[in-house]
Amino acid sequence: MRETRPRRSALVPSPRKGDGVMAFFIGACLLFALTTLAGAQAPAPTPTPGQGQEMVLKITKEAGRKLPLAIPPLSAPGVAAMQSKVVEPFTATLRSDLEYTGLFVIADPAHYPTGSRDPSTTEVADRWRGTGAEILVDTRADVSGDRVAVEARIWDLKAHQLILGRRYSGGVSYVERIAHTLANDLVKEITGKNGLFLSQILFVSDRDGAKDIYAMDFDGRNVHRLTSHHSLAMNPDGRGGKVVFTSYVSRFPQIWMMNADGGGAREIKTGLELNASPALSPDGTQIAFAGSAKGNPDIYVISTAGSNLRRLTTTHALEASPDWSPTGRQILYTSDQSGTPQIWVMDAEGTGARRVTYAGNWNDEGAWSPDGSKIAFACRNEGDFNICVMDFAGGNTVQLTSEGANGHPGWSPNGEKIVYQSRRGGSTQVYTMDADGQNKRLLTEGGNNMQPIWLQ
Amino acid sequence: MRNRTGTTVLAFLLAAACGLAAACKPKPPKTTAETKSVTTETKGAETAVKPPSTAPPGEVGTEPLSGDVAAINRAGYLKDAFFEYDKSDLRDDARGALSADAEWLKRYRSVQFLIEGHCDERGTSEYNLSLGDRRANAAKEYLVSLGVDASRVKTVSYGKERPFCTQSTEDCWQQNRRAHFLVTAK
Repeated sequence: MRETRPRRSALVPSPRKGDGVMAFFIGACLLFALTTLAGAQAPAPTPTPGQGQEMVLKITKEAGRKLPLAIPPLSAPGVAAMQSKVVEPFTATLRSDLEYTGLFVIADPAHYPTGSRDPSTTEVADRWRGTGAEILVDTRADVSGDRVAVEARIWDLKAHQLILGRRYSGGVSYVERIAHTLANDLVKEITGKNGLFLSQILFVSDRDGAKDIYAMDFDGRNVHRLTSHHSLAMNPDGRGGKVVFTSYVSRFPQIWMMNADGGGAREIKTGLELNASPALSPDGTQIAFAGSAKGNPDIYVISTAGSNLRRLTTTHALEASPDWSPTGRQILYTSDQSGTPQIWVMDAEGTGARRVTYAGNWNDEGAWSPDGSKIAFACRNEGDFNICVMDFAGGNTVQLTSEGANGHPGWSPNGEKIVYQSRRGGSTQVYTMDADGQNKRLLTEGGNNMQPIWLQ
Repeated sequence: MRNRTGTTVLAFLLAAACGLAAACKPKPPKTTAETKSVTTETKGAETAVKPPSTAPPGEVGTEPLSGDVAAINRAGYLKDAFFEYDKSDLRDDARGALSADAEWLKRYRSVQFLIEGHCDERGTSEYNLSLGDRRANAAKEYLVSLGVDASRVKTVSYGKERPFCTQSTEDCWQQNRRAHFLVTAK
């Protein structure tokens, strides 16, 4: 019955201290509504989002070419003291986020012109185009006490047109979150897809001894601990601000549920043994898990209120590792009923079970992509496990890793990235890669870090 | 007197276990002290041992067990059952160990115990939790079939989370594929 006490990072909004960021969120939401409805927000020429968006989309679709951006430092007139607290973290975060997408290349800041950043005239636009950039990301800050307001104007340098004008405000200490939010808005405007820059990854770490649940930003920054069970807490899954996991804190493995910030933790009693790999349904009301009665592990479902326990599989074989389809109508799971562990699918009532994977002698830990078209899983034929992705509709499996022993894949909310664990040189760490296996990045260090899941 | 009985029982268990085919193949990773005490008592086992099953069950069942729970666990009276890779069915050596465990448990009927299911590092963490559950329960079911009261035993799966050794060798993997016994009350 231990209540977990989270150690908040400075950037995670807290109900008590986060009035700054809340205001900033509200501000951003209001402004979004305004720009959408009225088409204008910043004191600048009226943007025509449809027009700008269409043209830029055409640019980015050209043969996978990266769109060159000029991102001059945040302009903060008259507040030189704010350089290290506002200007540098904001500019670095914005540049790093946009490079992370793989869609953009940032023109060399050494070649940026001084003077005007208003490219509505051909003369100024040409000066900026001289850097190689096609888009100018102009940001200006107004710092007042411990609050900062950032005005962003995104210009198409060829058409001399404003693509996006938006204003954000919040506490000075949240300046990186403002940069992340702008990066999300910019990516959404240009690609039509949601950015990941405010997303969180949960994982299990033994860095402090016993395995507990931790959280970090999408890029591995701001690691903070969510549970302090000092026992064995593992296999987190989360969406909609709720997280479920398995904990041995009461000696036997039980399902626990908590808020995404680690607060409000409670045990969900199932009356079964095992209680492993809990997965939250898309609507957040049900938990699928591997439960066992008398040594027969099956897939079960129980409501998050701890009622209405149902057994979905009835084989004498071993079942494990359930995951919901994005619609909540089907459940992916592992079964060894064919003689080797393979991925199966059934509908959420437990009927219509069929085998999904056939290649290799061990396929496990299946994870459905957010659009439901693909599954990622740990795959093995001989040797070490790798990460594979297959089209759910049938066939076409691609192996995305070849180094180390890999496992536990999870999709980013926009379906563009996969987070996974890889054991190399004696320790297991969390990595991310593009959904096609490109751009592999190490996110963690210190102890073993594993079982990652991108918070949906 | 009590000590001698304990020694005799232990010696018998060892003799019985080693007498069965391949019973001593896996070497459980116990402390050096335990390994020593086991080897010194082996000689006596070969000479004069009466199987406890010939004694009236009612009498031996009430026999007190010396030492506290921690000491009993250190003594390692209950032998672990070992498994094949990705399997939870009982090998001959596992049945041998469990038969001896059943005899001991019938002798000390107040003993409550836990069976932990463990797996080697190969395979995924989530699958191994299910596999460990099957192993612990396979051991439990066999003990129950031999007359041990099911209410005395609880099971827990640790999958590959609590390995007995951490090398990536078959020898080590074998040590980690087991149903491990822990006395929880005497």
